[in-house]
Amino acid sequence: MTSTPSLLSTRSLIARYGDFQALFSVDFRIAPGEVVALIGANGAGKSTFLRALMGLLPVGRDMVLFEDQPVGGSQPHHMVQLGVAMVPEGRRLFAGMSVEDNLKVAIDHARKAADKTWTLERIYKLFPILQEKRAAQVEKLSGGQQQMVAIGRALLAQPRLLLCDEISLGLAPKVIREIYEVLPEIAKTGTSIIIVEQDVMLAQRASNRLYCMLEGHITLESLSSDVTRADIAQAYFGAGHEVA
Amino acid sequence: MKWLDALIQGVLLGGMYAQYALGMALMFGVMRLVNIAHGDLVVLLALIGISASVAFGIGPLPLVLILVPLAAIIGWSLQKFVLNKVVGADSLPSLIATFGLSIALQNLMLEIWSADTRSMRGGGIESASIDIGGIYIGLLPVLILVAATLLTGGLDLTMHRTRFGRALRAAAADTEAAAMTGVNPRVVYAYATAIAVGILGLSGVFFALRATVSPADGPAQLIYAFEAVIIGGMGSIWGGFVGSMVLGIAQAIGYRIDPGFGTLAGHLVFLTVLATRPQGLMSRG
Repeated sequence: MTSTPSLLSTRSLIARYGDFQALFSVDFRIAPGEVVALIGANGAGKSTFLRALMGLLPVGRDMVLFEDQPVGGSQPHHMVQLGVAMVPEGRRLFAGMSVEDNLKVAIDHARKAADKTWTLERIYKLFPILQEKRAAQVEKLSGGQQQMVAIGRALLAQPRLLLCDEISLGLAPKVIREIYEVLPEIAKTGTSIIIVEQDVMLAQRASNRLYCMLEGHITLESLSSDVTRADIAQAYFGAGHEVA
Repeated sequence: MKWLDALIQGVLLGGMYAQYALGMALMFGVMRLVNIAHGDLVVLLALIGISASVAFGIGPLPLVLILVPLAAIIGWSLQKFVLNKVVGADSLPSLIATFGLSIALQNLMLEIWSADTRSMRGGGIESASIDIGGIYIGLLPVLILVAATLLTGGLDLTMHRTRFGRALRAAAADTEAAAMTGVNPRVVYAYATAIAVGILGLSGVFFALRATVSPADGPAQLIYAFEAVIIGGMGSIWGGFVGSMVLGIAQAIGYRIDPGFGTLAGHLVFLTVLATRPQGLMSRG
């Protein structure tokens, strides 16, 4: 696993909100086509980590490497051009605009790629309900449908790395299943995915590898198939963290 | 007949306000940036226009071709060097920054042009009128109304049908989400303010042809633009146009009731709308 080249990696990544340090020396890597889960309790720094990767937080240039090039602290629209896209927590759709206009913003500003993997038609095939609702304003949609728009919007940026922040939050179990069924299809196109998830079992099932965070530190890194519940409990809650 | 005449004059007056309201609808209604210097910029452009027409002996049309690009550059610079520094969820910083700009502009204009009122000669167009069954309609106000209507329609289409319009609406709805979708909000905002102020280049020429201009006239123009956008509804480009018509008609009818009542009638209609339909007439909310 360590011999494969990284698509993105972080080296001693530190991030702060003013005086509050949210991330402590985070070392992370993801290979092309890999699905990596990031789990941890509320406030562990998972969302902060994704925001730092996306360029929404100031971080040092050398702390984030994309294909071994230092890109830390780049503007978000530069990160999109490199091939990073994000499904943000809380969906953050463009209110007052139709489903299709939301998606078109992403098409307009997508990564300049020779082959467009994701088209409007393909998004509508992935989520047929969106085609039906394409003229509707996004705030009229259900939570699950809004999440589909948010995922579609991120995919239309033609990402090589997709960041998914709590995409199951507040959704019905049936809808969560529907949305998680789409992830393997996305990974199949060669896109790497980082999923931040509160539901540990779901995260473990959906990923190749996982990291656990606690209070801004990485406390566990493992193949998702190898990890035991005891390992996760220890990394998640920090029991015996001091002696480990 | 008297009231029909008032209605027509009101619509024509509304056309004048609509030109100011258009840029305001874009900046205040869509981008949620308060530009207190909006009216002062109209006055500045009008005074530059008057001086240029005297100095170089050029007519209104070539003046428009000079003033609109100049205004667009002023708008772009205003956004890039001032407003982009204070852009965010809070509209107070933009209010304070442009309030300072407004005072500075007024004093600068006073220094350059003195407090005298001036006007522009338009080679007869400013006083030409058409007689339709006893109602005299000024050619210039009609021209202004037509220009305002075309500009509003064009800007509304731009907002809904173009890449730029979608990016601007997205950035206005959620700046951070727009950025992570690949939009550079600062660039989009700079172009939007260039458009909003660029329109004032045309308004400045019309203003100078239609009325007298002095350096202290800005705030009055500003308040009508604000009222029009709020009457029409935030976020709607046509809302600013409709609000201008309501304001213009209310003032014209008010003037017929009593010459001192016109301006107040406009403000009263504004307050009534604010009290009964605060989201504005055209808003879906």
